[in-house]
Amino acid sequence: MSFLAPIAFFFAATLPVVVVFYLLKRKRVVRLVPSTVLWQKFLAENQASAPFQKLRRNWLLLLQLLLMALIVLALARPYFSGKTNEAALQVVVLDASASMQSTDVSPSRFDRARSEVLAMVDGLHGGNQQMLVLVAGAAAEVRQSATSEKSALRRAIQAAEVTDSTTRLTEALRVAETLTRDKPGSEIHLFSDGAGVDLSEFENKDLRLVYHPVGVRSKNLGVVSLDVKANPEDPARRAVFASVVNTSGESFDTTLELLFDGQVVESKAITVGPTNSTPVVFSAAQARKGIFTVRLGLTDDLAADNQASVPSALPEPIRVILVTRGNRFLERAVAASGPNVEVSTTTDLAEPLPKADVFVLDDVVPGVWPTGNVLAIHTGNTNWFPAGMGQMEAPQVVDWKNTHPLLRFVSLDNVQIASSLAVKTPTWAVSLVDSPSAPLVLAGDFGRQRVVWIGFDTLQSTWPLRVSFPIFIANAMEWLNPVTAKTELFQIHAGEAFRMPLGEGLAQIKEATVVSPGNRTRTIPLGTEAREFVFGETPRQGVYQVRFGTNTLDFCANLLDARESNLTPQRALSLGRRGSISGTKSQVANLEYWRAFALAGLAILMLEWWWFHRRTA
Amino acid sequence: MNALLPPELLRRLEQLQLLAARRAKSSLKGERRSRARGLSVEFADHRNYVLGDDLRYLDWNLFGRLDRLFLKLYEEERELPLRIFLDCSESMNFGSPSKFDFARRVAASVGYVALCGFDRVSIQCFPQPPATLPQAEVVARGALRSVRGKTSSMTFFNALSQLSAGGAADFNESLRRGAMEAKQTGAALVLSDFLDPAGYEAGLTALIGRGFQVTAIQILAPEEVDPTTFGDLRLIDSESGAETEVTFGKYRMAAYRQTVANYLERLREYCTGRGIRFATVTSNTDLGDLLLKQLRAAEVWV
Repeated sequence: MSFLAPIAFFFAATLPVVVVFYLLKRKRVVRLVPSTVLWQKFLAENQASAPFQKLRRNWLLLLQLLLMALIVLALARPYFSGKTNEAALQVVVLDASASMQSTDVSPSRFDRARSEVLAMVDGLHGGNQQMLVLVAGAAAEVRQSATSEKSALRRAIQAAEVTDSTTRLTEALRVAETLTRDKPGSEIHLFSDGAGVDLSEFENKDLRLVYHPVGVRSKNLGVVSLDVKANPEDPARRAVFASVVNTSGESFDTTLELLFDGQVVESKAITVGPTNSTPVVFSAAQARKGIFTVRLGLTDDLAADNQASVPSALPEPIRVILVTRGNRFLERAVAASGPNVEVSTTTDLAEPLPKADVFVLDDVVPGVWPTGNVLAIHTGNTNWFPAGMGQMEAPQVVDWKNTHPLLRFVSLDNVQIASSLAVKTPTWAVSLVDSPSAPLVLAGDFGRQRVVWIGFDTLQSTWPLRVSFPIFIANAMEWLNPVTAKTELFQIHAGEAFRMPLGEGLAQIKEATVVSPGNRTRTIPLGTEAREFVFGETPRQGVYQVRFGTNTLDFCANLLDARESNLTPQRALSLGRRGSISGTKSQVANLEYWRAFALAGLAILMLEWWWFHRRTA
Repeated sequence: MNALLPPELLRRLEQLQLLAARRAKSSLKGERRSRARGLSVEFADHRNYVLGDDLRYLDWNLFGRLDRLFLKLYEEERELPLRIFLDCSESMNFGSPSKFDFARRVAASVGYVALCGFDRVSIQCFPQPPATLPQAEVVARGALRSVRGKTSSMTFFNALSQLSAGGAADFNESLRRGAMEAKQTGAALVLSDFLDPAGYEAGLTALIGRGFQVTAIQILAPEEVDPTTFGDLRLIDSESGAETEVTFGKYRMAAYRQTVANYLERLREYCTGRGIRFATVTSNTDLGDLLLKQLRAAEVWV
C-alpha cells in the first residue's frame, strides 16, 4: 500500500492531543454518600484484574485514537497499485454500433459497457494516469482527449450515445493504435460485443488491446436487405425484395408488414428457422412516388433492424442511345435489358447531343463525348485514364467481383478474350473483372457521370455467346439508369453521410432543413457556390426529410447489415488468422481506499457517540 | 402506643422468646436455665450429703433404697442479659426510611421480646456522644443502659425514640469497649451498616471472645445496593469526608452489584464461621418480615 498524500501524516500530531484531553480532569458531580467503602471496593475490584479491565476503562480513548488514526489514513489517500491499472495512458474505445443497443443485458449492452467504463474511471488513481475516450459509432470520435480529470471523463462518457450504424472499430482502433504507439505504459480497452468486429488489419501490429466483452445471447430477427424493383412479371407493379435473418438458436414465427408511406399495404406470415434467412417478396402497386417500409411484428433484443425503408420513384422509360458500327448481340441485349428501355442506334455522336439517360459506346470514339452515364466498350476517354492506355493480348479472366450489383448473377467462366486495352485502375473506379496484369472491366462515378468501361471488344471475345452477357448488360442498364442512381442516393446506411448534387434549380436556396426520425430539426446553410448538399448526422435509422425552400424530399437511413444483426457476443476477437484476443472479465477495482477509511472513521464516531450516551444515560 | 412499633406487631412479639445458645451466666434471677445450682423445679443432679446441708433437699427415696444420703440439686433460673449495640453514626441517617429509624425499630422489637421474657436489656449507642448532645438525649441514653421487665417497655420505647444519629462511627473500638465493660455476658445484637473503613472483624471478635452470643443485623440503604446516580461523580464520605472519584453508568451496575454481593458474602462467611447469627436487610424492608421470618429463620428467637 502506498499513499498519494503522505503529507497528511502530519495530522497524526493530533493523536497525543486526544491523550491530553484524557489527562485533563473531568468535571465531576459532587454527591454525599453514607460511606465510600463499597465504592472503593468497587473501584478496587474493577481495577484489580489488570490488563483487560484497564483496556475496558479506556475504551473511549481507544475509540478516539482509532478514529483519529483512520481519519489521518484517509487523508493520506492510501492505494494499492494493481497490475491491471498501472498503464499511464488508457485509451477506452467504446463501441456505439447498432448491436450495442441489444437489450439482452439490462438496460442495454451500451449502457452496461458505459457503466464498466465509468467504473474504470473511478479506478484511476489520479496524478500520472490518463485516460482517453474514443466512441466508435458511425465514425470514430475522440470524446475526451487524454486527461486524468475524472469529472471530464465521466461527462464525456455520459454524453456518448449509441447509434444505428454498423460497427466501424477499425478506424477507432487505428486512432488508438497511433495514440499508444511508442508509449510503453499504455493500453487500449475495447468495450464491445464483438459483433462485426474485424481486426485483421492489426495482425502484425503490437496492439496492446484489452477486450471487455458485453452481451450474453443473440435473440434477434433482422431485416438485412431491402430493394424495390420493377415487377418482372407485371411492369405496372413494383416488387419489394426483403430478406430476414434469424441469428438465434430458436425458430421465430412472425409477420412482415409492408408499408407504403406509413400505410400498411400487405402483411406476410414468415417462419425463420434457427440461424437461417428467409427472402420475402412483396408485389405492390405504386401510384405515386413514396417510401416502402418493411416492419417485423415482434419484439426481440435489437429493435434497430426490425424495420427498413426504401424510397421508390415511379418507373420511367430509360432512353438508351447505342453508338455502334453494328453489333447484333449488343443491340439485342440492350433492347431486352428491361421493359422500359427505349433504344435508338446511331454510328456517331455530334452536337447537339440528343437527350438520353444512357449512352453505349461500342468500339467507337464519338465526335462529342456524352455527358450522361456511359457504358464504354473498347474505347476510352483520356480524361478517364490519365496514365494512358496500352494493349494486351489474350488476357485471362482471373477474378471478378460478384458482390457488385453489375456482376449479379454473372459468371465469367469460359470467357476468352483476344485482346484488350490495358489501363491502370483510376481512382474514380473500381475494377470488376481482373486479368493478371490489368483490369478488364471498370465501374465508377466520374464526376457526376456513371461510367462502366469494358476494355475489350466484345466481338473479339466469347462473352456474347455466354448467358452472362445479356445479364451483365441488363445489370449495367439498371445501374446506369439515373433513377437507380438517384434511388441509391436516397438510401444510405445509418451513420453514413447523405450526399446530393445540387442542380441548377436549387442554386438560389440559402438553407436546407432536415427533419430527423426523432422529429429533431436541423437547419443547414448552403453557400451560393455549393454544388452538393451533405448531411452527416444520420445516427438513427428511419426516414429523414430534407426541405429546400418549398421542395421536400425524403431519404432513408437503414441498418441492413447481417453482421450487425448477428448479436452473438464474441468472447474472443480474432486478430487476423493466427492471433486472438480473449475477453477479460476482471472487474476494475477501485484502488483508492480513502473512502473505506473515512467510512470506518464515521462508523467509529457513531459508535463512540452511542457509547457515550449509553454510559451517561 | 408508640411511634416505633405498631400494636399488632407488639402482640405478636409478645409470643416470641429469645433463644439462648448457652446457659445464662447472669447473677440475677430470671427465667433462663443457667449452670448455677439453686432453687427451682428443674432437677439437675445428685451429690453426697455433707454436714450442714439443708435436710429438705435430701433424696429420701434414694436413702431408702441405698441407705446412703444424697442431696438433690436443682437448676437455678437466671436472666439473659441482652446487649444491643446500636450504630448511631452519621451514615445511619441515609436511606428512605433512614437506616437509623429502621435500626431503632429492630432494637425496640428485639428489646421488647427480651423484656417480655424477663431479660435485662441494655442498649449501647456508639460512637461516643459528642459534647453538644442535647440533655434529653443524654438522659435517654442513660435510661437505656439497663432496662428490665415488661412494665419498663414504655420508658424503653420513649428513650429509643429520643435518640438521634451523628458523628463518625468507630465500630471496632466501640464493640471492644462494650465487650470489656459488660459485667455479665449474654446475648448481643449488633445493628449497623458494617461499612466502617476500618472493618468489622476486630469488634465482632472482641464480642465473641468475651463470650457473647452475637446476632448481627446489617442495615443498608436501598441506594447503596442499587445506586441511582450516574455519570462522572465525586463521592464524599458522610463520616470521614473522604473523596472518591468514580465514573459510573448503567453498564457498570452489574459490576457494582457484584461488589456489594461479594462484600455481603464475606461478611456472612465471617459471621457464620464464628457462630454469629447474621441477617442483612435494606431499610425499606418490611419490619414484620424481618422479625417474624428472617430472624426466626436465623434462630434468634422462637
